[in-house]
Amino acid sequence: MSIRRKSVLTGWSFVLLSVVLIFIFYFYPMIQALIMSFQTGTGSNLEFTGLDNYKRLFSDAMFFTAVKNTFIYLLVQVPIMIVLALFISVLLNDKKLKFKGFFRTAIFLPCVTSLVAYAIVFKYLFAGNGLVNTFLLNLHLIDTPIGWITDPFWAKITIVIAITWRWTGYNMIFYLSALQNIDNSIYEAAKIDGASAVRQFFGITIPLLKPIILFTSITSTIGTLQLFDEVMNITKGGPGNSTLTISQYIYNLSFKYSADFGYAATVSYSIVIMIILLSFLQFKVAGDKNA
Amino acid sequence: MKKSFALLLICMVILTACGSNSGSKNTTDAGNTGSKSNEAKEITIWAWDPAFNIAALEEAKKTYAAINPDVKVNIIEYAQSDIIQKLNTGLNSGTTKGLPNIVLIEDYRAQGFLQSYKDSFTDLSNSIKGTDFADYKSGPTSLDGKQYGIPFDSGVTGLYVRTDYLEQAGYKLSDLQNIDWKQYIEIGKKVKEKTGKALITLDPNDLGIIRMMIQSAGSWYLTEDGKTPNLANNEALKQAFGIYKELMDSNVANVHADWSQFVAALNNGDVASVPTGNWITASIKAAETQSGKWGIAPLPTLPGNDKSVHASNLGGSSWYVMNVDGADTAADFMAKTFGSDVELYQKLLTNIGVIGTFKAAASGEAYSQANDFFGGQKVVSDFAAWTEQIPSVNYGIHTYAIEDILVVEMQNYLNGKEIDKVLSDAQAQAESQIK
Repeated sequence: MSIRRKSVLTGWSFVLLSVVLIFIFYFYPMIQALIMSFQTGTGSNLEFTGLDNYKRLFSDAMFFTAVKNTFIYLLVQVPIMIVLALFISVLLNDKKLKFKGFFRTAIFLPCVTSLVAYAIVFKYLFAGNGLVNTFLLNLHLIDTPIGWITDPFWAKITIVIAITWRWTGYNMIFYLSALQNIDNSIYEAAKIDGASAVRQFFGITIPLLKPIILFTSITSTIGTLQLFDEVMNITKGGPGNSTLTISQYIYNLSFKYSADFGYAATVSYSIVIMIILLSFLQFKVAGDKNA
Repeated sequence: MKKSFALLLICMVILTACGSNSGSKNTTDAGNTGSKSNEAKEITIWAWDPAFNIAALEEAKKTYAAINPDVKVNIIEYAQSDIIQKLNTGLNSGTTKGLPNIVLIEDYRAQGFLQSYKDSFTDLSNSIKGTDFADYKSGPTSLDGKQYGIPFDSGVTGLYVRTDYLEQAGYKLSDLQNIDWKQYIEIGKKVKEKTGKALITLDPNDLGIIRMMIQSAGSWYLTEDGKTPNLANNEALKQAFGIYKELMDSNVANVHADWSQFVAALNNGDVASVPTGNWITASIKAAETQSGKWGIAPLPTLPGNDKSVHASNLGGSSWYVMNVDGADTAADFMAKTFGSDVELYQKLLTNIGVIGTFKAAASGEAYSQANDFFGGQKVVSDFAAWTEQIPSVNYGIHTYAIEDILVVEMQNYLNGKEIDKVLSDAQAQAESQIK
C-alpha cells in the first residue's frame, strides 16, 4: 500500500463515523420525505399517487396564502433587520464608546432566550389589554387599543417586531467580528483624505463587509422561510390565516387536520426549492467570484 | 476515488438495512396485537387538563384498585396538542413502543384517528354497550358498527349569564329561557347600554360558536357521510354566519386572542354572558367573588330554523384503548369504571364537576343538587336534560381543516363580501383540499 493510499484511508477512517451518522440522520430522512411526498392518504393509509400532491400544491389557496405571508415577512423584516444590525454594530465598534461589553451583551441577549418563552412574553405584551396598548393609551398616542394580535394587519406587524427583536443581535455579532478585521489604517487614511463618517461607512465599511452581508442575508432568508415558533405561539397563524407561514401550514397538515403526511412532505419540499432558488439569486446579485 | 465510492455504497447498504428493518417491525407489530401477554400488570393512560380529565382518572384509579389491586395504573398528563403529535408520529412510525394503553381523544378528532390508523385501536364492543351512553356520542366513538371509544364527558352547551348585569338592564334569567340568537343580541344591546359591558367575547380564530349553532340544527360542515363538504347550500351555516356578523356589527362583542384571555374576560366581569360547553363551569367558579351572580340558560336557537333546538355540543372527548400489550387489562379497567360504574359518576360530578354521558348515571342524586354559585339553580339536571336533546351529527375527519378555510371566509364576510359567495368559495376550496 502506497503512502498516499494509506493516508487517504486514515483520513476516511477518521470521518467514517460522522459520514455514517450524517447519512442516517440527514440524507435518509430527506430521501424518505421525498418518497413520502408522492403519497397521499390520512395517517398510515398512504398510497402512491405520483405527482398528485404537487398538482394539488398549485391549486391550494391556503398554501399560496402561507407563501405570500412568508414572503411579506422576508421582504419587510430581513432588510430592516440587516440595516439595523449594521448600524448598531458600527456604533458599538466605536473606539471611544464606554461600557461596550454591556451594550453588546444587552443587544445579543434576546437571541439566547428560548424561542417559545419570548414568543409567549410577546403575546402578553401585545394583548388587547397588554403592556404595549396600555403604554400607548397612557401616552395618548392612540384612542382605542390596537388589535395587535386580533387584527390581520397588526398581527403581521407584531410578528415582524418579534423576529426583529430576537434576531438583530445575532446578525450584529457577525458584523462586529467582521468590523474588527478591517484594518484601522484604512479609516485613518480616509480621514486624512477628509472623508466624512458617512462617506467612510458607505465607501469602506459596506464594501468590505459585503461577504458577511451576503452570508447574513442568506441565513436570514432561510430562517424566515422556516419561520414557525413565533407564529405558532403568538398568533397560531391567525386571525384568518393572515400570519400563517409555510412551516406552520406543514404543522397544520400533519397534526391539526387529519394527518396528511404525504402532502405535508410535498409542502416541505417546496421550501427546499425556494431556499435553493433564493440563495442562488442572492449569490448572483450580491456575490463576487471570491464570495 | 474508488474507495470513497465503495464507502458510499456501504453507507447505502446500512441505510437500506435500517429501512427494511423498520418495515418488518411494522408488520410483526400489527400481527402481534391482541395475542401475547394482554393480561398486563401495568397500564398507562394519557390525558390533558389536570383539573378535569386527570382528576377524573384519579377517581377511576381509586375505584379500580378495589376491583383489581394487582394492576398498576400510570396516569400521564400531556397537553392535548402534544397527545395528538405523539399519537400521530408514534402510529405512523409503525412501532407501538412508547404508546399508552388508553388515550383521551377529542370527539371532533376521533374519526380521524380511527379511520387513519384502523388496526391501532381495540374494538370494545364486548366490554361496553354504546347505547348505554348519550346518543350523539355514538357517531364519533364508533366505526363500521364497532364501538371503539368509551364516551366520556358531555360537551353539552348552555348560555352562562351574569344575572346581576341582566337585572341592571331590566331582564331576569327567565327571560332567556326560549329565545333565539336575534333576541339574544337585542338583550345584549340593552345590557351594553345600561352596564357598558360586552355581551359576549369572541376569538376570530375560533369558530366554536358557529359549530354550536349549526349542530343545534342537526347540521355540520360535512354531509351525513362525513366526507362531502356541506357549506355552500347549508342553511344553518348561512344563518350562523349572519348571527356572527350581527354580533360583531352591533358592537356587543369583546375580542380575545386565546384561552387565558378568554377566561380572564369572564373572571374580570368584562362580559355579561358566554355560550359554551359545560366544562367552563370550573373556570367560571374560579372567580369566587362572583358567586351567586351567574345563571345558566338554555342555548338560543337559530331564528327561523325549525330544526334548531335549545341544546348543542361543544368539544367533549372520549377514551380509547390502544392495540398494544395490555389491551385486555386496559379494556377491563375502562369497562369497570367509566363504562358501568354509576357511583363513580356521582363522585366525578360532586368532586370535580364532570358531567358524563353515561345514561344510567343521570338519575343519581348528585345530579339533582342545587348549586349556590349559580344562585341555587340545579344546573346539572338542566344540563342532563339538554344532553338528551342534542342532535346527532357526523363530525367526519375534517372539522379543523374546514374551519381554517371558514375562518378566512368569515373575515371576508365581515369585511362585506356577499354571504352566498363566501360559502360557495369555501365549498370550492374545501372540495379541492379534502381528499
